[in-house]
Amino acid sequence: MTTPRTTFHPRPRRRRARAMVVAAAALVALSGCSAGAGDVVTLNFFQFKPEAVGNFSAIIKDFEAANPGIRVSQNSVPDPDTAIRTLLVKDKVPDVLTLNVNGNYGELARACIFADLGENPVAETVKPAVQDIVQSLGTCSTDSADEVNALPFASNASGILYNPDIFAANDVQVPTTWTELVAAADTFQANGVSPFFCTMKDSWTANPAFVNLGGTLMPDGFFDTLREESTSGAGTVSFAEDFAEAADKEATLFEYCQDNFASRDYNAGNKAFADGESAMYLQGSYAIPAIRANNPDAAIGSFPYPVTDDADARVVVSGVDVGIMIGRDTPHAAEAQKFVDYLMSPEVVTAYSEAQSTFSPLKDAAPNSDPALAGLEPYFSAGTIIGFIDHQIPAAVPLVNLLQTLVITGDTETFLADLDSEWGKVAARTTTQRQGK
Amino acid sequence: MTDTLTQTTAPLPGEPDAPTRAPRTRRRLDGGNGGTNWWLTALIAVCSLTVLIPLYFTVVTALKTPDQLGGTGFELPTSIRWENFADAYQLTNFPRALMNTALITVGAVFLTLLTNSLVAYAIARNMHKRFFKGLYFYFLAAIFVPFPIIMLPVVKETALLGLDTPVGLVLLYTVYGLSFNIFIFVAYINSIPVELEEAARLDGASTWTVFWKVIFPLLSPMNATVGILTCVWAWNDFLLPLVVLSDPSAQTLPLAQFIFQGQFNTNYPVAFASYLMALAPLLVVYVIAQKWVVSGVTRGSVK
Amino acid sequence: MTATMTRAKTPAAAPGTPARVRSNIARTPRTFYWMVVPAVVIFFALHTIPVLSGMFFSLTNYAGYGTWDLVGFSNYINLFQDDRVLNSYGFTFGFAIVSTILVNVIALAIALGLNSKIKFQAAFRGVFFIPYVLAILIIGYVFNYLFANSFPAIFTALGLPGLSGNLLASPDFAWVGIVITTVWQAAAFNVILYLAGLQTISADLYEAAAIDGASGWRRFRSITFPLIGAYFTINMVLSFKSFLQVFDQIVALTAGGPGTSTESIALVIFRGGFQGGEYGYQMANAVVYLFVIIIVSFLQLRILQRREASFS
Repeated sequence: MTTPRTTFHPRPRRRRARAMVVAAAALVALSGCSAGAGDVVTLNFFQFKPEAVGNFSAIIKDFEAANPGIRVSQNSVPDPDTAIRTLLVKDKVPDVLTLNVNGNYGELARACIFADLGENPVAETVKPAVQDIVQSLGTCSTDSADEVNALPFASNASGILYNPDIFAANDVQVPTTWTELVAAADTFQANGVSPFFCTMKDSWTANPAFVNLGGTLMPDGFFDTLREESTSGAGTVSFAEDFAEAADKEATLFEYCQDNFASRDYNAGNKAFADGESAMYLQGSYAIPAIRANNPDAAIGSFPYPVTDDADARVVVSGVDVGIMIGRDTPHAAEAQKFVDYLMSPEVVTAYSEAQSTFSPLKDAAPNSDPALAGLEPYFSAGTIIGFIDHQIPAAVPLVNLLQTLVITGDTETFLADLDSEWGKVAARTTTQRQGK
Repeated sequence: MTDTLTQTTAPLPGEPDAPTRAPRTRRRLDGGNGGTNWWLTALIAVCSLTVLIPLYFTVVTALKTPDQLGGTGFELPTSIRWENFADAYQLTNFPRALMNTALITVGAVFLTLLTNSLVAYAIARNMHKRFFKGLYFYFLAAIFVPFPIIMLPVVKETALLGLDTPVGLVLLYTVYGLSFNIFIFVAYINSIPVELEEAARLDGASTWTVFWKVIFPLLSPMNATVGILTCVWAWNDFLLPLVVLSDPSAQTLPLAQFIFQGQFNTNYPVAFASYLMALAPLLVVYVIAQKWVVSGVTRGSVK
Repeated sequence: MTATMTRAKTPAAAPGTPARVRSNIARTPRTFYWMVVPAVVIFFALHTIPVLSGMFFSLTNYAGYGTWDLVGFSNYINLFQDDRVLNSYGFTFGFAIVSTILVNVIALAIALGLNSKIKFQAAFRGVFFIPYVLAILIIGYVFNYLFANSFPAIFTALGLPGLSGNLLASPDFAWVGIVITTVWQAAAFNVILYLAGLQTISADLYEAAAIDGASGWRRFRSITFPLIGAYFTINMVLSFKSFLQVFDQIVALTAGGPGTSTESIALVIFRGGFQGGEYGYQMANAVVYLFVIIIVSFLQLRILQRREASFS
């Protein structure tokens, strides 16, 4: 049907109104409206990571030095989720964006907000396993082929972080099976050491464990089947059936948390782990910079979740921490392309991955030499990775809130039933809406 | 429903003695029988601690180093770290955020006082006409509209009109304040005798002149009330600037505090220093103009 | 009065009898129209159109961007089957009722105290009004820290380990923390309003009552309360209405958690509609919310006014 835009005033009006506003407010002069300034093109660059502003400022500086005709204005906001949505509502999609490549990204990609980068030669340099994770979240699909709407710039990996010093002091080996993991936790507890430092004041911190447990234990194609059946109602798969073991194991892990774990937040967790207050920490590679910010010499190791008793079945959950997109209708497509090419160049990607403890998604990248990532690196290099399953769950399902309740109460049955019912309700509301892939 | 609202407010203070504004409120303070009730004074003093303690806590936390944070947090700092304020100043780009907030607030207060009183005057003096009475209820009905329902359309519309700027916010505060302000202005204007205007009219003054020269000056107690309400609202508002402003350099003070809520390491003393700096300007204004503010709100106590 | 005023458009420069002078006001209606019409136009554009388009989109599956289809009333039907939405109504009403009662009772008590013969009256009045000028969002951040760190430490030190948890982390009691923060901030304004009401009561009335030997409580019941009934009504209605729209302090304190136990209606609409891509659906929620607020405010006025009448 029609787009809602037509209900409002036509464009010339808007220009005049804006001109008046600019004249009226000296304020706007501060905002850097350099529209008519010579031949210099200013790219509006939406950068979602507040902690990486410094890294990107340096990258931009180098880029601008090499490309005198292009200026890049980094736009980093405190609440990127809301900010990107409001920018879309305002029809002001930035020229170049970075976003966490998650379920939200998938929805935006399906709505054809981003340009197709598939023709771009740099797309060839990306590891196929990583690009597959991006593609699985959704693309703007045309008749002929699926588009590539985001290029992975940095990948993360979710595993268990541990303190090698505490492991050595208690004579515990890195666990490779579920039984060993539980035994290790028991040993620490018996020795008066906190096995995990949990931070349930921030509900999302229950999620990393869940995506590892659920992602490994769920049947192949679970979400595809679930989505298909939400219209047909066949009901051969459900969270109650297929996630029961994952929910049990999640609840088991959180039984080993410190006292008052429901009151502590992520910041407190990073500090506590940095200070050696717990043997393990249920967080991924992305927590490492924050831990080191508290204690640059923190002892950190990592290992993949031993979800089952088969040590060979271990995989690493990996997501694209930073993806790069170009706005579909940007007037500066050529300049934006140039900037993206620069961002995706091996030196820039590698430098960023070392600074932020991420993995380079490029084919020829050297392995990340950070000792804290050594336990996860081989899995990533070999492509033994799976995506974050929470990205398959629509944002309208309050997954992290339900997880928070689960780990506090330990009530797995309610959790699974709620998850099924939330999924069903959202599916019923959105069946007419999801035509894209 | 709105009819009953006006009835309710009719006997409130400030209105009967509007133009003269006799300071009758002092009467019971000193006079009367007997001396001071010391028990009650003590009780009130204890109650006032509930207000002061969180403020004290904010101040001491803002002065500490991160390693002094343990314990209850109410201990005095052992060594003071003034750099917290400098850090907060930099992190939030304080001068810019302060400037934005101040401009938006001042703009909203001025535009609100000038326009809303005018609209209220026209409505109050023509209440007997269906058009104006209808308008009165039209504006008033908006009091009950929750913000979420208009949020997204407003975001879209302001962006289309180029109003996703501080100037647009000034306009939005003025327009959204209209509902409530008309309600208080109209009740007040009704208490101003029409005869005052008629004298001016006999001298040949136009309706505009009558409003600016006769009515507007008489409205000053109500202007104080509306000005304070608008000022506090615009200064502290969070959601409207969050969704309306497009340009990050137009960020206001409450938005700037969001930087301490990210998923990266929070330095609490710096965050508290920043909170304090965001709260301080209005607090200082209040402390200086306390008498005036309290009596201003008291007079407009229909709210 | 109204009869003489309906005559319009007679020349302004013709002063006549006193009766005709009155009609001068009605003689320049055009100016009055000029005073209101621009405001009406802008108000219509920036408020009414958004309300109407919000209502319209409640009949669509619009995500906030991209394309959309009309879906009839299915959003409304789904709404009443969505226990998350129903829970948010439950939470919001419970919160608003408790907060309204507490704010008004506490504010009235403090105002009574401030209105008595105490020392430093002006200073105390100034102190109690301070929270009004502070942003509830920032107050929320401060209280968040107090609940997470300071209060547990104090209760532990007092030997009450049962209370040493973070109130905001308890699914059953997190709402109490939100109420405490809200009351702390909102009582200020109502104190001032009640104080204004109390100061309109003539001291003579109390003196007469004292001579009759009426006790403090009786004096309050039979003199004070009836005389400030109008304030009580309006404060109850307006505080209840604004507490039904609670948002900022929840963002700052619990973000709706633990679980979904403290999700208010406004938060659900904001999250689902703005961040979750279910704009059309949440607009249906917002329309229902609008009618709920109107109905509740109306009922409240009715009930309170009847009660007020029975006092006098």
